[in-house]
Amino acid sequence: MHLFAHFCLLAAFTVSIALAGLSLYMAWTGRRTASAWSERGQLAVFALIVAASAVLTRALVARDFSFQYVAQYTDTFLPMFYTLTAFWAGQAGSFLFWALSIAACGVFYASTDHYRRLSPETRVWFWLFHSGVQAFFLYILTGPSNPFLELSPAPAQGNGLNPLLQNPGMIFHPPLLFIGYAAFTVPCCLALASWLNGEREEWLPCGRRWVLFAWMFLTAGIILGAWWSYMELGWGGYWAWDPVENSSLIPWLSATAFVHTAIIQSRRNSLHRINVFFIALTFLLCIFATYVVRSGVIDSLHAFGRSELGAPLMFFMLAGLFVALVVTFSNRAADARPLDELTSRPGLLFMAAWLFLALALVVFLGTMWPVISSMWSAKPVGLEPAFYNRVCLPLFALIAVFLVFCPWLGWKGGLRDKRMFIAVCACLVPAAAFLWFFGVKHPVALVGAVSAVVGIAGIVGLFATQKGMVGNGSMWAAYGVHVGLLLMTLGVAFSGPYKVEAEAVLNPGQSMRIGAYDVRYLDNREITTPAMACYEVRLAVTRDGKPVGELTPQRRAYRNNDNVFAEVSVIPGLGDEIYATLVGSTREGQASLKLSINPLVNWIWIGGTLMTLFPLLAFVRRKA
Amino acid sequence: MAKKSNKNVYIVALLLLLGGLGYLLFSGLSQNSVYFLNVSEALAMPADELSNIRLFGTVADSGIEGGPGQMGVSFHLLDKNGGERFIPVRYTGVVPDTFKPGVEVIVEGGLEPASGVFGARTLMTKCPSKYQKQRDEERAAQG
Repeated sequence: MHLFAHFCLLAAFTVSIALAGLSLYMAWTGRRTASAWSERGQLAVFALIVAASAVLTRALVARDFSFQYVAQYTDTFLPMFYTLTAFWAGQAGSFLFWALSIAACGVFYASTDHYRRLSPETRVWFWLFHSGVQAFFLYILTGPSNPFLELSPAPAQGNGLNPLLQNPGMIFHPPLLFIGYAAFTVPCCLALASWLNGEREEWLPCGRRWVLFAWMFLTAGIILGAWWSYMELGWGGYWAWDPVENSSLIPWLSATAFVHTAIIQSRRNSLHRINVFFIALTFLLCIFATYVVRSGVIDSLHAFGRSELGAPLMFFMLAGLFVALVVTFSNRAADARPLDELTSRPGLLFMAAWLFLALALVVFLGTMWPVISSMWSAKPVGLEPAFYNRVCLPLFALIAVFLVFCPWLGWKGGLRDKRMFIAVCACLVPAAAFLWFFGVKHPVALVGAVSAVVGIAGIVGLFATQKGMVGNGSMWAAYGVHVGLLLMTLGVAFSGPYKVEAEAVLNPGQSMRIGAYDVRYLDNREITTPAMACYEVRLAVTRDGKPVGELTPQRRAYRNNDNVFAEVSVIPGLGDEIYATLVGSTREGQASLKLSINPLVNWIWIGGTLMTLFPLLAFVRRKA
Repeated sequence: MAKKSNKNVYIVALLLLLGGLGYLLFSGLSQNSVYFLNVSEALAMPADELSNIRLFGTVADSGIEGGPGQMGVSFHLLDKNGGERFIPVRYTGVVPDTFKPGVEVIVEGGLEPASGVFGARTLMTKCPSKYQKQRDEERAAQG
């Protein structure tokens, strides 16, 4: 079976190379007949990758430890559900999943109406780029990162999946990211092909929908990742500006910039070239993200280890950038019309795109700083999380400010509704005073929180007063995402600077105080299941003598793993969330506890959920 | 024409943005940048330059006081690329679950010149992530 699966991938690699070569030849000689072959070939590549994936899935289900990959990431004690998710838990498997997603996207796109309406030349170019990308991934899978290596003799037992990954958040986080990354391939290839063929507009509506789809998955992946680190790592934080976290944020930021400049192109017929470049950039930044994570170029908290993937990924990235630049500047068509006034809706959208790009640049610089600084300094210099907070949070606050004003500006300048605009502006001062009075004195947090509150009120007002908004699906999609973002801003503005933390060692019966809450250690117990042994303490939380709830943080010892892991416990709330980690315990029942009060933290998850769900409405409307 | 004046406004806005961003970047880079050093690199530097650094290394087998599940730990940090020389580290916060001899850790803090002990503000064990090959390497080393 190892050989069969490996052969499938090799065959898929060969077919992809052949298709890319065929497309190149056809494009070169100006013939138009290649695309029918490409469609069939794409189907074959997809079928071959599906066959290889089926082999891996079967090996996982059967726990066939003669597969090195299966032995590395599962064991016989692992529940079936997590065993299946081990498909994308390791490096080679995640690349296979990514390649599968790319091939599936290609097959799906080739079956759409939009594809059928493409000019034959554009189709040839599209398949050239798409097959090229696909061939690169298949090269990785048949060479440096092979999921079908055989282990002989097969061990009786596998290594087991890392307990930190045995959490629902971690099951869905990687595939969501990979589907997001993979879905950027189609719009990128489409935009480049179309632009190369001298077309300016044709690709945009379809390309934008693909980007929106990819963006939705990427957003969901990033937010789930943050939620996982909050719930599973036990430190009460959700974002640490670690290189691995940053790397998936960078393509997200550039995709977000594209979504905004694409609106300007479709509404105001300008920024064509910028859009082509942005979408290509976004795709390349996905590869960059993988490069940062897998190449070991930067010392990260995550021990991803050095692998042989650095050089091919780097080469592919540079080659891709070269192609993107050549294609972007190949089309001489000038923008059809000049930019609108700065104080119009397109003006602010354009500036928002600048801000997103600036953020992407800052995160990129910060992440790569140890590498960049090594050019002139013998000792690498890196940046603390405080750097990102100092530079990025003001930019995010500025984006929130834009969201207060932007909806009220007209497409051609001027105001949509003067009275409502004045009403919204008038709300800013009392909202700021109110929040200041309640202790929000941190300037960036204050600007962010005020913008969030007034911005949400403004959007509600917009739907209440403007005609045609309520029945418009894409308006709901856009403003729903913005409300989600503003709620997240609110959550970050409070949960960051106003978090209260305390650590204590308690005996049963003892109490501690944190913020306005009293926490009393009631008792403890042991729970044993076949997969783990677990020690749990029970804590009663009261506020002013009234019970608030019970916390049951645990420490878990998993079979097949030397470490003990803390399982946090929370009393969720829309205001304060009380968060407890059991750091350690003694035989006598003494417990070392770490507690924190995280104000408004759940609004980050609520806002994040809205951001991932509302874009769906944009698709529903189009189908209707 | 309107076109020209629009362009100028955008240029001014861009300059303002770049100016603000430049200022933020400059202040961030000058105040929040720290040396990322391996133990051997840190030992080669004068102690007064080590007041705020991020140090990468491996926890030595001997010399550990305290440990996971407790408040605080003292240990010897070895260079992760091997070698005998170490830096003693003292950390007072909650010790991560995955802390143990031989594990790669990152500490942030500074060297106290008088005692030669590295006072760590934060102690992070490398996230034993899904992509790691460390276990295999460890086994190969042991085998």
